[in-house]
Amino acid sequence: MRKSDDDDETSSLIERTKRRKISVLDGTEEPNGSTSHIDQIEVFEASVKEDICTHPGFIGGMCIKCGEKMDNQSGVAFGYIHKDLRLANDEISRLRDRDLKNLLRHKKLYLVLDLDHTLLNSTRMSDITQDEGYLMNPDDPMQDALKGNLFKLPFMNMVTKLRPFVHTFLKEASNLFEMYIYTMGERAYALEMANLLDPGRVYFDSRIIAQGDCTQRHQKGLDVVLGQESAVLILDDTEQVWTKHKDNLISMERYHFFASSCKQFGYKSKSLSEMRSDESDTDGALATVLKVLKQVHSMFFDLELGENFAGRDARQMLRAVRSEVLKGCKIVFSRVFPSKFQAENHQLWMLAERLGATCSTEVDSSVTHVISTDMGTEKSRWAIQENKFLVEPRWLEAANFLWQRMPEERFPVKEVKVNH
Amino acid sequence: MKEIQRRSIAMEMEENNDGDGRERTKSQSNRSSALKRFLPEFSAFQFLRESKIQSLSDFQFWLKIIRFKDAVLGKMFFHIVLERNMQLHPRHFGRDLREKLVSKLMKDVEGTCSGRHGFVVAITGIENVGKGLIRDGTGFVTFPVKYQCVVFRPFKGEILEAVVSMVNKMGFFAEAGPVQIFVSNHLIPDDMEFQSGDMPNYTTSDGSVKIQKDSEVRLKIIGTRVDATEIFCIGTIKDDFLGVISDPGTTS
Repeated sequence: MRKSDDDDETSSLIERTKRRKISVLDGTEEPNGSTSHIDQIEVFEASVKEDICTHPGFIGGMCIKCGEKMDNQSGVAFGYIHKDLRLANDEISRLRDRDLKNLLRHKKLYLVLDLDHTLLNSTRMSDITQDEGYLMNPDDPMQDALKGNLFKLPFMNMVTKLRPFVHTFLKEASNLFEMYIYTMGERAYALEMANLLDPGRVYFDSRIIAQGDCTQRHQKGLDVVLGQESAVLILDDTEQVWTKHKDNLISMERYHFFASSCKQFGYKSKSLSEMRSDESDTDGALATVLKVLKQVHSMFFDLELGENFAGRDARQMLRAVRSEVLKGCKIVFSRVFPSKFQAENHQLWMLAERLGATCSTEVDSSVTHVISTDMGTEKSRWAIQENKFLVEPRWLEAANFLWQRMPEERFPVKEVKVNH
Repeated sequence: MKEIQRRSIAMEMEENNDGDGRERTKSQSNRSSALKRFLPEFSAFQFLRESKIQSLSDFQFWLKIIRFKDAVLGKMFFHIVLERNMQLHPRHFGRDLREKLVSKLMKDVEGTCSGRHGFVVAITGIENVGKGLIRDGTGFVTFPVKYQCVVFRPFKGEILEAVVSMVNKMGFFAEAGPVQIFVSNHLIPDDMEFQSGDMPNYTTSDGSVKIQKDSEVRLKIIGTRVDATEIFCIGTIKDDFLGVISDPGTTS
């Protein structure tokens, strides 16, 4: 074993030092050269004796390498692995590097998944409306279609509906990614949901991060994920919580199944449950996102670019895929931004540029699309006159969520009635 | 040499039990056959898990074996005398006062943990029940009870066997009775690599040795922390003679 070899070496070195020391004490004069040599060996011996532990991490106050008890609050807490675990920053980097090498060998990347409105939709039992009452009735004919996707949790007073296609999504994604759950809900809730999505503990194992594990309030971070940031992709419906990692984020369209969820976000229309319908299985958000993930994955592990995967960055690949969506479009906005607002800083402008389009403040012959909220503006009339595409802002949002350029006819600008 | 000594002394003890002149009872014959079966393995953890303890005297017998065994392998179990003040409501006074006191003591103390003594496994006998004192104002009576019990306390430097409960990229968690032990990958031999998958494990490069859930491992404790309900330890398998004993699925 390597360790015993080292021991032999050092012990023989120490022995040699001891012999030399005795010979010096005997009074023989040594020329200067060898004295300094002895000093060097003495220093080496001293350092061998003080084998200081670097304290890579602490569980319950004890160092995981030497067992010494220390009251240490440095590093990052990994409460989801063990409630008292803290790791030093060096150790985290070391683990990330090692794990990345391991994963790349298996041709996998990391995927962080949000729960609410991304993979499922939950509601309190008390918030179930009358139109949704059929969901609670075991004899209702709709129950067959919902089997395996609708779960009642009486002890938590909640009802949960899994998004269509989620089981297939998880199964296929697990072949390409090591998956994490990251939710702003409480740990107990997260564990219950993980149990519904992953009863065999195959997809997530112990990688379930909840609100209590976040290091910053109201913000999610990749600092508690044991994976290199350059290889992580995130799937979440909320953008504000991922301000530090916007490049890794794939925005998802929110899944509103229950009426209470629609109400929470201010939608006045009937929810999917009240209309007794659901998102499409094979054509819904999860199916679309799965295609994108597969695309990024195959770009990352493209063998044409060589066998060394370590230097690649999944964020770059994601950016490249995203910029294909509206490639070739030149967009001008009309009555979309507030008047004194700096156009280039607006969300929609930046979104359009991320999707591969070029934006401009003035119309000219190269412009292809005018995005407007009012048909009567100068730019809108110019678009109709020059036979350019005139669409409402939702066309842009659709491109963002569906990862393709939607037919412009589906997003006409509505006639704005002027109210005085 | 040690093996032979062990066997002979254990056989002696067995004979002492019969030396009273009584006929061998069923439990005694069970014990001797069990003893013969366990001697070669001689793992305290193993036979506590598998021995069929049916009575207090049974347990007392096994206790002697354990104490003897500790001298060979390392201290883990202790048979000590503790004292506790038990409060009893007057409704329990009567013929079975002592029994009620003992059963309450067992319910209160067995399964708890203390920093000094460790985890109380079982009460083996009552040494002494002192005079009861009626408390002012409540009518409850306090009895000071001295009792013998088996405590389990792992020490730093001790070697014990445990069953792996969870494996992840940081190391693995193992359990030995009420104790949970964490072995970080710093203290796993360098030639063992983590393999992720639906059964995460640590395997040597040639695949000959594997640590996964439900494997039995022999590890050395390098640090302990005891609190009110549990004992937590840090362990290592990097030293000689430590590591996997058996894979799950094989009979031991």
